Amino acid sequence: MSKYFIPVLFLIIFIVSVIKKVKPYDAFTLGAKSAIPFAVSIFPYLVSIFVLTELFEISGISSLLTKALTPFFNLMGIPTELTKLVLIKPFSGSGSLAILTEIFTKYGTDSYLARSACVIYGSSETVFYIAAVYFANAKTKKLLTPILISLFASFCSCVFACFICRLM
Amino acid sequence: MNVIFGLVLILSTAVMVFINPDGVLSAMLLGGEKALDLTMKMVVIYAVWLGVFALLEQSKLSNFFAKALKPVNKFLFGPLPEKASDFISLNISANMLGMSGATTPMGIKAIEELEKHPNTEYAITMFFVINATSIQIIPSSVMALRSSMGSLSPADIIIPTILATLISSIVGIILVKVFVKKPKSKLNRYV
Repeated sequence: MSKYFIPVLFLIIFIVSVIKKVKPYDAFTLGAKSAIPFAVSIFPYLVSIFVLTELFEISGISSLLTKALTPFFNLMGIPTELTKLVLIKPFSGSGSLAILTEIFTKYGTDSYLARSACVIYGSSETVFYIAAVYFANAKTKKLLTPILISLFASFCSCVFACFICRLM
Repeated sequence: MNVIFGLVLILSTAVMVFINPDGVLSAMLLGGEKALDLTMKMVVIYAVWLGVFALLEQSKLSNFFAKALKPVNKFLFGPLPEKASDFISLNISANMLGMSGATTPMGIKAIEELEKHPNTEYAITMFFVINATSIQIIPSSVMALRSSMGSLSPADIIIPTILATLISSIVGIILVKVFVKKPKSKLNRYV
């Protein structure tokens, strides 16, 4: 069912734009053209975030933080095996995907840990990455409040994920 | 962002000076390389999606999404400038459907558009929090990975994921409503 969604949607868009007498080649090219300045403006912000993530990982601070927060996470019902995923997810999509795959291989895809990991992965976003990219062209750099709110809200969903997977 | 960035940067570099001084520069370069890889992938994804969006915009089909989401937008953001409302609606629709390539360009355009108007800090914060707390309905990529690694019922995470997503979005929306002041201005002030 879902595999038809994008092609059918695109088909509708293409047909309607021709009916509405939009010049499809001109319009599509104009849109595609704006991708380059887009990518150029985003690149420096991505570099900053990725440099930070690498240093954070390799210096061992991330695993130190994981260890330090584990008792608190356990108290909230998040198993020790999942704390790393919860902490990495806001920083790195590829990093958290690697952890998710690791959990699948280690504990099986249908275990409680794997299911909770799926829900944590699927219900939260890479907050810092989104902050960097969405605000790349923005004048405001006051991001602390929105980031803190998002991180707290994501943490709530992680706690909930570990709880609901015990029941369902 | 500067506070977090500075803090983590200083702490990790300080630790590295003691445990692995050679690793600092190479880790930073590796980060840069990963950023470039991602950017290259993004250019292609953006080009295709922005091409499709240009058709959507010029054929006025984008108004359809804006109209469909009008009540939601009104509740979340209050009065919105027309163009920003279009981009926000497209971003939210793409988010819900899990079209991750499409969300980012629309998100950046929405924030740019919002910034052209006064008193939009509330709307910008709300928009960011909604994007950063995930509003995807079907976690299709996770399900695909799960079934490819041998899961017997890859779909059994759908309902828990939707519920967890709802929780984070509701918590985020409430916190924005509590902590960020909503401007009392009417729509005509924007125009």
